[in-house]
Amino acid sequence: MSDFRATRIAALAAKIAAIESGGRAKAGVLPFGDARLDGCLPGGGLALGRWHEIVGAGLEAETSAAPAAFAALAATPLARTGEAVWVLRRDDLWAPGLAGLGFPPERLIQVCVRDEAEALAVMEDALATVGVSAVFAEVEAVDLTAGRRLQLACEKRGATGFVIKRRPFGGKARTEAAGSVAGTRWRVASAPSEPPAGEFGLGAPRLRVALERCRGGRTGEWILEASAAYSWEAGDVAHPLRLVADLGDRELAPAQPRERRAA
Amino acid sequence: MALVPGLITAEAEPEADAQALTALVDWCVRFSPAVAADRPDGLFLDISGVAHLWGGEGELLADFRARLAANGLPFRLAIADTPGAAWALAHHGRDGTIAPPNGQGELLAHLPPAALRLDPEAAAQIERLGLRRLGQLMEIPRAPLGRRFGAATLDRLDQALGRTAEALAFRRPATPWVDRLAFFEPISAPEDMARVTEDVTAKLCARLEAESQGGRRFEVAFHRVDGKAPAIAVGLSLPGRDARRIARLLQPKLETVDPGFGVESVTIAAYAVEPVGGRQVRIEAGLEAAVEDGLAPLVDRLANRLGPCAVWRAAPFESHVPELSATRTPALGAPPPQAQPWNREAPRPVRLFRRPEPLEQVVALLPDDPPIQFRWRGRLHRVQRAEGPERIGEEWWKGDIADASITHVRDYYRVEDAEGGRFWLFRAGLYGGGDAPKWWLHGLFG
Repeated sequence: MSDFRATRIAALAAKIAAIESGGRAKAGVLPFGDARLDGCLPGGGLALGRWHEIVGAGLEAETSAAPAAFAALAATPLARTGEAVWVLRRDDLWAPGLAGLGFPPERLIQVCVRDEAEALAVMEDALATVGVSAVFAEVEAVDLTAGRRLQLACEKRGATGFVIKRRPFGGKARTEAAGSVAGTRWRVASAPSEPPAGEFGLGAPRLRVALERCRGGRTGEWILEASAAYSWEAGDVAHPLRLVADLGDRELAPAQPRERRAA
Repeated sequence: MALVPGLITAEAEPEADAQALTALVDWCVRFSPAVAADRPDGLFLDISGVAHLWGGEGELLADFRARLAANGLPFRLAIADTPGAAWALAHHGRDGTIAPPNGQGELLAHLPPAALRLDPEAAAQIERLGLRRLGQLMEIPRAPLGRRFGAATLDRLDQALGRTAEALAFRRPATPWVDRLAFFEPISAPEDMARVTEDVTAKLCARLEAESQGGRRFEVAFHRVDGKAPAIAVGLSLPGRDARRIARLLQPKLETVDPGFGVESVTIAAYAVEPVGGRQVRIEAGLEAAVEDGLAPLVDRLANRLGPCAVWRAAPFESHVPELSATRTPALGAPPPQAQPWNREAPRPVRLFRRPEPLEQVVALLPDDPPIQFRWRGRLHRVQRAEGPERIGEEWWKGDIADASITHVRDYYRVEDAEGGRFWLFRAGLYGGGDAPKWWLHGLFG
């Protein structure tokens, strides 16, 4: 009986996936390389040919350093296969920092735009371009129409988008749009590093990453480490992020208040 | 004034004259791309190889005359083999003279020596010696002539007779990649403007294609009935000749062009033209995408919409000063950087502030110690872990030697606060000097 149920559910899931993909071939996934994280994501990895939303917590909503680092680290394997475009409204992204994390800076084209609408238009344009594998954009909010347009642009060539939510300095927090067509939503904050025993200074950079929303998957919260950052092998590892701790209880709904928010 | 009461006077306005001449030079591009201003009141038009478009030099001159007259400008015209001869005939000969090829010598012989564009002393000297016509000057042997009136006189004579070349400073760089479309009736509808832009681009690109060349910059000028010629330009990141792509880049800029009472002709010029090989259309899909397919058009679209400075790739530059170590290079077609790549082992922040932000309430236990706490943007951060200092000195060899000092250093620290935020901060200056050193936040790590 249970066997029958399992096969029926699998068949239904496949059917839904086929409807969702709109008849197009799946663009594939980019696994993080750890079952605890990949298990939460549909298909076993970060979906390619979709766009993902990355938000920062607290002050990071304005400075957006940890979300940018996470986006760059997550997209590093993509950037090795094609060009990457980063759409900025403030040009404070610094390529030497990305190089230290292992991201190939020579594959990155930076575009500085004047306003929000332009940022989304440039992102859409870049996503639909042959030879571009990853597009990052720093915007304040993506409404449903814009999100849908980004999704269609992603599907055109299978490029992956990373929308980094960033408020202008001193700007008021906007109310978030109720729905979103993003594939996933991540909330990223820095986490204290742990240098190896007997060494002083800082350890490899760690990020506290919460998967807040995930289409066809589950949510969770982890601590990830960019183990190879700031070393010579930074550019050579298969995936620069390594999972060091599992924080969230994935079987429950993500209703637990996070202490970062309270702070 | 007393003698001629009806005389109309006007203030001399040299700047306005110069501006008007520049406008006239721009307008003359409709006849030939090579136009040089001859200040204060003349211009040279190089019509080599364009006269046939009007059906001959006489027709070209007649058209030019009619259009100048329609604009109410007083003028004198002449056509000759050399700029010098043309200048002489226009200023001192009969208006509208067309010198036959290699026949300027006879025509010049009757003109006064002033027709040679001489400096006043030499002209006065010639005048004093009773030489009234250029023909007399030409009969004098070269050596005594040069000795008596100076090498400049000899040069001018040679230039007028075509024995030496004369360099003209053309308003635009001379490019052979020019094309034009003239209309029977002036046009002004937006659709027509778009259409003719496309047509004239296609015309030029066909020529580029035939000679395996590609341009990096295209400039289209719309010559209006009232003599103005507004122009629009686009740049390409890689040399190209795809007419449709270039026309599409020009399209959004068309709305800035005011057609006025109508546009009678359109000219297009390609600059920075270099050889471009042809490319075979790929039959198989799914191969590695070529730059020309997607990236180059994307970069061109963005650079033309947002400005050429808004699209860049960061490249290393050899400098220890952090904000100087990354420079912007063009997104495509830039030569590979000569500098060493960035040192991956040196931790550098993902976000670097353009101006370092001041920190308050910084407490460091010892002069060379990292701070144990600091306040930034109204929030107190307690440092848990720290690394440093990394001492970076100023580039004293670039400034005045008197300003160089060993105290002009920055000591960079990488610190982590209790919540895990990682900061790159530095102390400017050393303890123990005159002013207390200040602390700044320069960047944020992820």
